[in-house]
Amino acid sequence: MADFGPGRMSAPAYLACVALLTVLGLGVAMWAHPAFLHSTLQSIGLEAVPRAAPGSFYAVRVAPLFESRCAGCHGETREKGQLRLDSFAAVMRGGADGAVIVPGDTKASELFRRISLPPTDDKAMPPSGKTPLTADEVTVIKLWIAAGASGEVREIKGAPKPVMEVTIPQSDPATVQRRRAPLAAAVKDLQALFPGLIAYEARDSADLEVDASLKGARFSDANLAALSPLAAHIVRADLSGTAIADASAPMLATMTSMRLLRLANTKITDKTMEALAGHKALKSLSVVDTGVSDAALEPLKARGVAVYGGSHE
Amino acid sequence: MNDPVKTDAHVLVWDVPTRIFHWTVVVLVAVSWFSADNGFMRVHLWSGLTLLALLLFRLLWGLFGSTTSRFINFLHPPNKVMAYLRWRDGALYAGHNPAGGWMVALMIAVLLAQALTGLFSNDGLKFTGPLALWVSDDVSTRITGLHGTIYNIILALIWLHVVAVGFYLLVRNHNLVGAMFTGKKHPRHVPAGLNLNFTRLYIALLLLALTAGIVAWVFFQGVP
Repeated sequence: MADFGPGRMSAPAYLACVALLTVLGLGVAMWAHPAFLHSTLQSIGLEAVPRAAPGSFYAVRVAPLFESRCAGCHGETREKGQLRLDSFAAVMRGGADGAVIVPGDTKASELFRRISLPPTDDKAMPPSGKTPLTADEVTVIKLWIAAGASGEVREIKGAPKPVMEVTIPQSDPATVQRRRAPLAAAVKDLQALFPGLIAYEARDSADLEVDASLKGARFSDANLAALSPLAAHIVRADLSGTAIADASAPMLATMTSMRLLRLANTKITDKTMEALAGHKALKSLSVVDTGVSDAALEPLKARGVAVYGGSHE
Repeated sequence: MNDPVKTDAHVLVWDVPTRIFHWTVVVLVAVSWFSADNGFMRVHLWSGLTLLALLLFRLLWGLFGSTTSRFINFLHPPNKVMAYLRWRDGALYAGHNPAGGWMVALMIAVLLAQALTGLFSNDGLKFTGPLALWVSDDVSTRITGLHGTIYNIILALIWLHVVAVGFYLLVRNHNLVGAMFTGKKHPRHVPAGLNLNFTRLYIALLLLALTAGIVAWVFFQGVP
C-alpha cells in the first residue's frame, strides 16, 4: 500500500472507532427492532427461549391456527414484517414493530387487533384474498391472550370446541382389486346364487357383508353352509328372521372375522353361542327372540361385545 | 513501485458514467430499502428495475468502458490482493486498488442477485415481482426469503465499503469519496506517466439504452 503521508488517525484508533460504531449500530438496530434483540440474546444463551408445553392450550389450539393460517407469510420461508408465528418463542418475540402479543391485554395486542379488523381493511390479517379467520378461531386467540398468552395453561373456560379435521385416505383401485382377487370368483358365483345377499363392505374393502334377513324363512342352514368359501371374509351378517338353527353353529364358528352378527328371531340356542366363543373380532350381537340364555351371553358381554336380547330362563 | 506525479494538477481518473452509476446506485439502494420497509411497493418495483438496468450497464461498461472502469484493469489475482492487504504492495492505482476492485465486483454481483431475485418475489399481500408468475408460489416464496437474506448481506457489504473508504480518508489520507464526485485524484495518489483512455459518453448512453431496453422487455414478459 502506497504511503500518502500521516492521516488524521492511526489504524488501531480507527479500527477501535469502527468496532465502537459497529456495536452502537447493532445496539440501535436492537433498540429499534426488539425482536432482533430477543432473537440475538436467545441465540447466544443470554435469554431463555420461551417454549410451550406439549398439550398446552397454545400447543393444541393456538399453534395449529398460526401454522395453518399465518405461517405461510410469517414463517421460515417468509417473514413479513420480520414476524414469525411458527413457534411460541417467535410469537412472543414479535416483529419489526415490536411485540404483537401483550399477555392479558387483547386490546394492546397488535396481532389480535389485526385479525379482528374487517376483511376490507388494508391492515386486516389474513390479508384480502385470503380466507379470514372464523369467529371461533378469533375467539380462541382472544381467550388465549386474555388468559395471559401462556405456554403452560391447558384449558381455558369458554373456548369453542375444536373442529376435528378428518382426512379420508384415497383408495387405490389396483390394491383393492389385488386383495379381492383370491375370492372374486367365489363371490361372483354366490352373488349369482343369492342375488342381493352378498356385497363388499366398502368400495376399498375385500371384506364381505351378508344380509339374509329379507329372505326370511327361505334362508336355511344349508344356504348358510353354501357361503363356506367366503366364511373367513364375512365381517357383518344379518341372519335375523331366517330359518337357521343350531345346525349352523359349526358354520358360524368358521366366520372368525365377524364383527357384527344379527341372529334375532331365529331358532338358535346356547349351543350357537358356544360356537362364537373364539370370535375375537365380534363387537355386536343380536339374539332378540331366540333361545339363548343370559348365562350363555355372559362370556361375550365380559369381553365387551354389545349384546342385544337373551332370555331370562 | 510507481512514483507519485510531482504536480498539483488533479488527474481525471473516473469517467462520468462510472461516477453517475456509483451515486445513483447509492440513492436507489436507499430508496429500495425505504420503499420496501414502508410498503411503497410500486416505488420499490421501479427502483429495483432501474437498479437492474444500471447494474447490467455496469457489466457492459466493465468490458467497453474507460480504463479505470474495466474489470480487466481492477480485478487482480489473489496473490496481488493478499500482498496489498498486507501492505506489501507499494504500487499506486489510478482506479480501484486490488482489494477495492474485488469489493466492487462483489457488490455488483450481490446487488445483481438482489435485483434478479426481486423479479420473482412477492410480498404475500398485493404485490408480486414482474416475473413471479413464471414460477410456482412455493418457488416465489423461497426466492422472496433469499431476497431478504441478500438484503442483510448488502447491509454488511455497505458497512464494509464505508469502513474501507473511511480508513483511506482518515488513516491513509486519501479521499476516495471526493474523487468519486469530481472524478479527479491528487497527483500523489496516481502512478506517474498515467495514460488513461476514456470511452465516449455516447457509447455509455447507447449501452444504457440497451440495458434499459432489456429490463423493459423482461418487465413486459411478466405483464399478463
